[in-house]
Amino acid sequence: MPGPPRCTVTMTVNGRRVEGSVPPRKLLSDFLKEDVGLTGVRVACEHGVCGACTILVDGQTARACLILTVQADEADIRTVESLARDGVLHPVQQAFWDQHALQCGYCTPGMLMTACELLEQNPDPTEDEVRRAIAGNICRCTGYVHIVKAIRAAAAVLRGAAR
Amino acid sequence: MTVGATKYIGERIRRREDPRFLTGRTRYVDDIRLPGTVHAAFVRSPHAHAVITALHTERASAVPGVAGILTSPEAVSATRPIRCDSTFPEWKGTEFPVLAWPRVRFVGEAVAVVAAADRYEAEDAAELIEVEYAPLEAVIALERAAEPGGPLVHDAWGDNLFLDRRVSRGDVAGAFTRAEFVWERSYRTHRHTGFPLEGRACVADFNPATGMLTVYSATQIPHLLRTGLADSLGLAEHDVRVIAPDVGGGFGIKAHLFPEEVAVCLLSMRLGRPVKWIEDTCEHLAACIHAREHVHRVKLAMTRGGRILGLTADVIVDAGAYSVWPWTATMDAGMAANMIVGPYRVPAFEARVRAVATNKCPLGPYRGVGRPSAAFTIERALDDVARALGLDPVDIRLENYVPDDAYPYTAITGLIYDSASLVKSLERARDTAGYPQFRREQAAARAAGRYLGIGFGTYLEQTAHATNEFVKRGVPIVFGYDTVSVSMDPSGKVTVDSSLHSHGQGHETTFAQIVAERLGVPLGDVRVRFGDTQSAPYGMGTFASRSAVLGGGAAWKASDVVRRTLVKVAAHMMEAAVDDLELNDGVIQVKGSPQHRMTVRDVARLAHHRPERLPEGILPADFSSTQSYDAPPGYGTFTNSAHVAIVEVDVRTGFVTILRYIVVEDCGRMINPLVVDGQVHGGTAQGIGGALLEHLVYDDRGQLLSPTLMEYLLPSALDIPAIEVHHLETPSPFTLGGIKGMGEGGAIAPLPALANAVSDALAPLGVSFDALPLSPARVLEAIQARGAASR
Repeated sequence: MPGPPRCTVTMTVNGRRVEGSVPPRKLLSDFLKEDVGLTGVRVACEHGVCGACTILVDGQTARACLILTVQADEADIRTVESLARDGVLHPVQQAFWDQHALQCGYCTPGMLMTACELLEQNPDPTEDEVRRAIAGNICRCTGYVHIVKAIRAAAAVLRGAAR
Repeated sequence: MTVGATKYIGERIRRREDPRFLTGRTRYVDDIRLPGTVHAAFVRSPHAHAVITALHTERASAVPGVAGILTSPEAVSATRPIRCDSTFPEWKGTEFPVLAWPRVRFVGEAVAVVAAADRYEAEDAAELIEVEYAPLEAVIALERAAEPGGPLVHDAWGDNLFLDRRVSRGDVAGAFTRAEFVWERSYRTHRHTGFPLEGRACVADFNPATGMLTVYSATQIPHLLRTGLADSLGLAEHDVRVIAPDVGGGFGIKAHLFPEEVAVCLLSMRLGRPVKWIEDTCEHLAACIHAREHVHRVKLAMTRGGRILGLTADVIVDAGAYSVWPWTATMDAGMAANMIVGPYRVPAFEARVRAVATNKCPLGPYRGVGRPSAAFTIERALDDVARALGLDPVDIRLENYVPDDAYPYTAITGLIYDSASLVKSLERARDTAGYPQFRREQAAARAAGRYLGIGFGTYLEQTAHATNEFVKRGVPIVFGYDTVSVSMDPSGKVTVDSSLHSHGQGHETTFAQIVAERLGVPLGDVRVRFGDTQSAPYGMGTFASRSAVLGGGAAWKASDVVRRTLVKVAAHMMEAAVDDLELNDGVIQVKGSPQHRMTVRDVARLAHHRPERLPEGILPADFSSTQSYDAPPGYGTFTNSAHVAIVEVDVRTGFVTILRYIVVEDCGRMINPLVVDGQVHGGTAQGIGGALLEHLVYDDRGQLLSPTLMEYLLPSALDIPAIEVHHLETPSPFTLGGIKGMGEGGAIAPLPALANAVSDALAPLGVSFDALPLSPARVLEAIQARGAASR
């Protein structure tokens, strides 16, 4: 008996070309974890509410648990693993560390990706703008207080670097 | 010798564990990928109460990729059911089946499990398992379930009461005779849950060649889980190894032995290969652990001046279908009865306490355990009394608090409060909120048709309760101590092995702060490990705000033993007297004589590799110490806090906006104020979620109407304000270092603080709340009901 059909996909993950052969129903989140071997893609609610699995697809935040792998064929994927360069934390990561913006760490990768997208679009967000930007990322540990502070601190650092 | 000047306790040190979380280099259970793994999916009951009449697995077995199926009759014969009995004489016990058979007692209860090549195929196969049920009448409404005459959850009992106890202290009848005013009302808190972002997860890996079962589990209690699994599966504990790797939050929810984990282990033992189970959100919301469903009918005997003379309480807790291990079904009820007198001097107290079985998901500990419900009741009741008597809510609290200079204080419940700063904390909170100024703004807003309100929620929180308290509570396992090993290796570096798991609490930093300071070595020389029963000493785990006090205390004691060894050996090697040496920052020197020095590294190296240089009676093993700590007097150390919520209520929509949220908290001596702030924020946010949004709703036939995050609303960054935190530090006179627990506290007070604030805002409309959550629909309904009544 032939097995279920499989599809070949090719995509760029954190700058590296990746090929795979997957069942059509396989979620991108599962592909990135199981086939690509990333540990920075966290899956929690699996129905697009909590934002833990947020990654960048062609430069825009997306929920890896709501995308089929085949839909990401030829896409450029970025995950939290792409942020630190040569052992140096990205300013958003550094600010999260300095401000104690994480506890259990499960929401952190998705939160960081959302924060990075925000700061690319809006280098000087108000507190309210930060809160609106991360409203789709649930954190159960921190009450968001230090996360909001960290994102604004990172914005200041990035503005300084851009000058 | 002098304890050195190396100072880490009390410092705001950023967490040493963070880089792996920030870069995605973590290892949660889902990241464990073992060769040959199959993936499990459960078949769950769609009925709240029914008898299974037939179960067919043939179609599922025929699916390619299915490696094995376990049904309830097989699980029943191969495992000991989970049983957790209270030692109270009034207790009625029950087994929590690994897979239900033949009765199912709540929607979502597991009846079979399938393992297949991947989760997709396992779910396909699970859908092909056919189960036939004969439905029974479900026991759902709490107060009806508590009374005789209705349908029964457990037939043999004759009623639905896990527990029915009465306590009476002081002259209650006299108090009500003398009372100038009596207040009576029922206060309810609703079913909600901790929802750690990572749900339950486990990988069971049985190796038939060694007889070893290795279980990776997202648990808060690795050793207790090992005991529970070994008991259920009939294995010796040394044949079971539990590894809790990085764990994505717990909040009490993951401090249980779950039937599903026993089933997954059994399946691995049957198949001789690893079986992985990652729970989905529906499973978590329907069948993990629920919390907080209480009704408290209270009666307060008062003077007209607002002094409490006596209190009676009828505490009814919906414990769900089964008694959970290792807590029993009594934890919430007992805690609520203990803490319902709040932080107040109550001279006479009487309670009836019932833990009721219903056809709902079992109730278990969630951050605060009974205290949020107890605080909701007493704090709401005091505001109601204040309004009825024309008193100020701040004044009535100050009138009744245990004064700041009255500690240690033995409460009417028998609890010994070690120290607290209730008066100072509330005064600070009131002043920070600008209370008189707020009242003026509120009056002006009301005149303009806007509804602003202020609410206070205050509490004393029992934390780090140890042997004596848990003996009193009648639990079968007394969570009396915890254990930590501190070892110095030949390089002079220190390894701390802790029985307490850290899943957000920051132990890798805070325990290192204690050990580095007590040992006199740099913080960077200390590595903290936990979570693997093969390397950590046996202990209870992380819950009940106990890690800092009990684990920290054990680490403190073990460090002191190793320091004494170190200095004795150095004194021998340096031919100096122990009392003449000082140890700071990894260097031992003769006081006032810096040229006579040895590094800790040199001493450790020589001690391990040149044993001929050790003094008589000391061996290399003395560079390691394992200590347990049971903080005296065993009833816990008490943290206190005052929360203030300032809200605006939109009377057209019922929507509550939090304008300001202030916390003044006192958890004694802080190890790391940065971590304390984080814990306060997080607990408060969960309390706010519980007060305003989160609700597990059952219909009257026991169907869960909130099985996804589309219905079960978690607070986002738009729902939680910029919480302002202020600290007072009143050390415990009893614990090592004066440290108190504080992990749960934030979650306690938002329930009453917000309900008081919304009730204050709507006071002109005659609305006050005795139930939660304060969702827009419910707030609007209350406003409209009042409007209809007054028309």
